[in-house]
Amino acid sequence: MLRAQLQNELWKLFGKRRTYIGFGAFVLAQSTMLLMFKYTRWESQFERLLAGNGYPASDYISALTVALVMLTPQILLLMPLYVTLVGGDMVAKETEDGTLRMILSRPISRVRLLWVKWMAGTFFSVVLVLALGGIALGFARILFPWKGMFVFGEPPHPVFSLFPPGEGLRLYLFSHLLMAMNAIAMMSVAAMFSCFNMKPAAATILALSYLFMSMVLEHIPFFEAYQNWFITHHFASWVLLFQSPTPWAQIIQSEIILLATSATAFVIGALAFQVRDIKS
Amino acid sequence: MIQLLNVRKKFGQRLVVADLSLQVERGEIYGLLGHNGAGKSTAIGMMLGQVWPTAGEVRICGHDVAANRGAALRAVGAIFETPVFYDYLSGWRNLQILSTYTAPTSEARIQEVIAWVGLTGREHSKVRTYSHGMRARLALAQALLPKPELLILDEPSDGLDPEGIHEMRETILRLQRELGLTILLSSHLLNEVDQLCTRIAILQGGRKVFEGSVAEVKSVHGRVELKTPDFPGATRWLRERGLITATLEGRFIILSAGHSTAEITQTLVAAGFAVEGIWQHEQTVEDFYMGLVSQQKETTKS
Repeated sequence: MLRAQLQNELWKLFGKRRTYIGFGAFVLAQSTMLLMFKYTRWESQFERLLAGNGYPASDYISALTVALVMLTPQILLLMPLYVTLVGGDMVAKETEDGTLRMILSRPISRVRLLWVKWMAGTFFSVVLVLALGGIALGFARILFPWKGMFVFGEPPHPVFSLFPPGEGLRLYLFSHLLMAMNAIAMMSVAAMFSCFNMKPAAATILALSYLFMSMVLEHIPFFEAYQNWFITHHFASWVLLFQSPTPWAQIIQSEIILLATSATAFVIGALAFQVRDIKS
Repeated sequence: MIQLLNVRKKFGQRLVVADLSLQVERGEIYGLLGHNGAGKSTAIGMMLGQVWPTAGEVRICGHDVAANRGAALRAVGAIFETPVFYDYLSGWRNLQILSTYTAPTSEARIQEVIAWVGLTGREHSKVRTYSHGMRARLALAQALLPKPELLILDEPSDGLDPEGIHEMRETILRLQRELGLTILLSSHLLNEVDQLCTRIAILQGGRKVFEGSVAEVKSVHGRVELKTPDFPGATRWLRERGLITATLEGRFIILSAGHSTAEITQTLVAAGFAVEGIWQHEQTVEDFYMGLVSQQKETTKS
């Protein structure tokens, strides 16, 4: 029964046009970035950076390098928007539309219903991240060769790493697992707000405000000692994957915190959903 | 089938349902009447475990809804005013989705209810292409999917045209006749309640002000139309002698218990009032409801 319920929840989710806004926006943003990378001074700046450190640029200006460069701003800006949009809709949209009353005239428990919805949201988050990475790599491969991977990141997560194509691809794929964890945590926070008595847009805005506030506070020097308390600090763990040597302890800690955040958001959401009255 | 025991519901400081007790027996069509905000939808919400009572107990099919909602709603179907579906999906897919929230349902069963409500041929069209009447039929189909014993209808004719209202009324009667369902009907259409229900309860301001059978309501003397050149004088005279309790619309009188139209005619003629005509009107649920509401208003005022 759980399988059938999840399957139907996915029908509901992927049957809506607004679910595809994120995918469409990624295609648009990535194609624009790719053209900018190819036809502006962006590429030559990268070449200079590599040459200045003694590496032949021709070996590392590749599909993998460009895909990762294109991915970073979208993971930071676009992905939170689209996963919180879906998370914010989760319960609040059905309440607003009136379909929740019809569902809750049936013997399914609210916790079970939320669990199914949350699993569907998790599935969406993973698919969105995979689509994002896949589209980035696919687009980059059209204009750039399959060669080594160059990863450059500025503080607070400094990275300057070079990988052969095989190793680069492995890390690129693995980083998506960590990005998916970020997406699930963002979606869970929005879903939690969605369980309270509010409009879907309000749930999305609250979740985005929480993420934005966390990001701002994280970057204030005064709060440096408390960085572990900010969820956005842990979203950077996928970048750490490219550091050499890989700080596994830090990555695992961040992933556990993200998992715990998602679980906490689910529990709070389930409690709020369980005790509230559903009225037309 | 439905039992409410001293149920109360408060939203913040606002009392919406006050110590409501009612019982719906198997096989009957029970009407829940009341003005907007009388507490009907809240009472239905509590029956379905969508609204949690502040106090009291709600039992459906013998199960306490608060403690064992799953068992209580296993054999219950419900329709709400203005049926809402996932418009971007087909009627069939909507039924599939909704059925999984109760129990595994075969395709044959879905086909069966689609045929029963008369949607065959349109089940694979998107719901956004359905007319209001078709949506009402789809709502009925989803309510029938779990083979319910109890059907809760919250203003099912809301928004339907006269033809649709007639069709819905016939369907409700068919449901009881052919499937033997117990039906709780909340409606504003007093005429509909009159024709369908065996028993009714009237809510006002969250309180039950009447509960009884429709036959009982109709057996009470209704309005009597009195045609006389001096209606105000004649009715004042009758009222002073305790023969009538009220006058309506400047032409109707309500007789006091134990008095007949013949007695009224004789008394008026003997007192010198000309009586041009007097007619007994059978009391409808609407008459009864309106009388009760105005009586309640007067009581509140005084």
